Amino acid sequence: MDLESAIRSLHREKVEAVLIGGAAMALQGSSLITSEMGFCYERSKHNVERLAQAVAPHRPRLRDASAGRPFRFDAQTIERGSNFKLATDLGDIDFLAEVPGLGFYDAVQRASVTMNINGIDCQVLSVAGLIKAKKAAGRPRDLYAIPELEALEELRKKTGLD
Amino acid sequence: MTSDERDALIALISDPPRGSKLAAARDFGMDLSLFVSNLELTPTERARRLSATVSFFDSVRVIIRKDR
Repeated sequence: MDLESAIRSLHREKVEAVLIGGAAMALQGSSLITSEMGFCYERSKHNVERLAQAVAPHRPRLRDASAGRPFRFDAQTIERGSNFKLATDLGDIDFLAEVPGLGFYDAVQRASVTMNINGIDCQVLSVAGLIKAKKAAGRPRDLYAIPELEALEELRKKTGLD
Repeated sequence: MTSDERDALIALISDPPRGSKLAAARDFGMDLSLFVSNLELTPTERARRLSATVSFFDSVRVIIRKDR
């Protein structure tokens, strides 16, 4: 996984996207490890085109699909779908149009904070947003993360640390 | 993180208030001291650490598959 490079690639093409899921948790201070990066992306035509351009150099292919199955992560494909679980040269990346418990990009963006990653301002889902999303997703691995996230949120409120 | 902030953080996780979310996380089995090492890092350092950890696990996974 190369999270920094993924963020840099999206930033270079001016893609509107918010880092979500386990990678966002890690940036917020969680100890839980995730093997994939997740982004909620904005669905306008221009942004979808920029997203396809940003990801293209990293050889995107569908995860959990039989090898050799034809797939192009281009603007047309993105417009026809909504959620994509990709394997790329930077690691596994999920691109979601909607986040459970929060909604589409605008709502997710409002629930995010700006973090500077090696000189790049990146939108990262807040701890409160992560808690909402994890509760809504409701899978065992999501529910397992909630006590830590709630403790982290409380800790930050009491200490002012970020 | 300043040394005062670190001290405040350590005091809080060493004896979390009863009924707090911190106490609930500790009772759930979480090692609260991990918050100190995590929050001491900058977001860039956290991103790098996550990437390095996942790469390590990936390489272990490859070795295990080869051995089977």
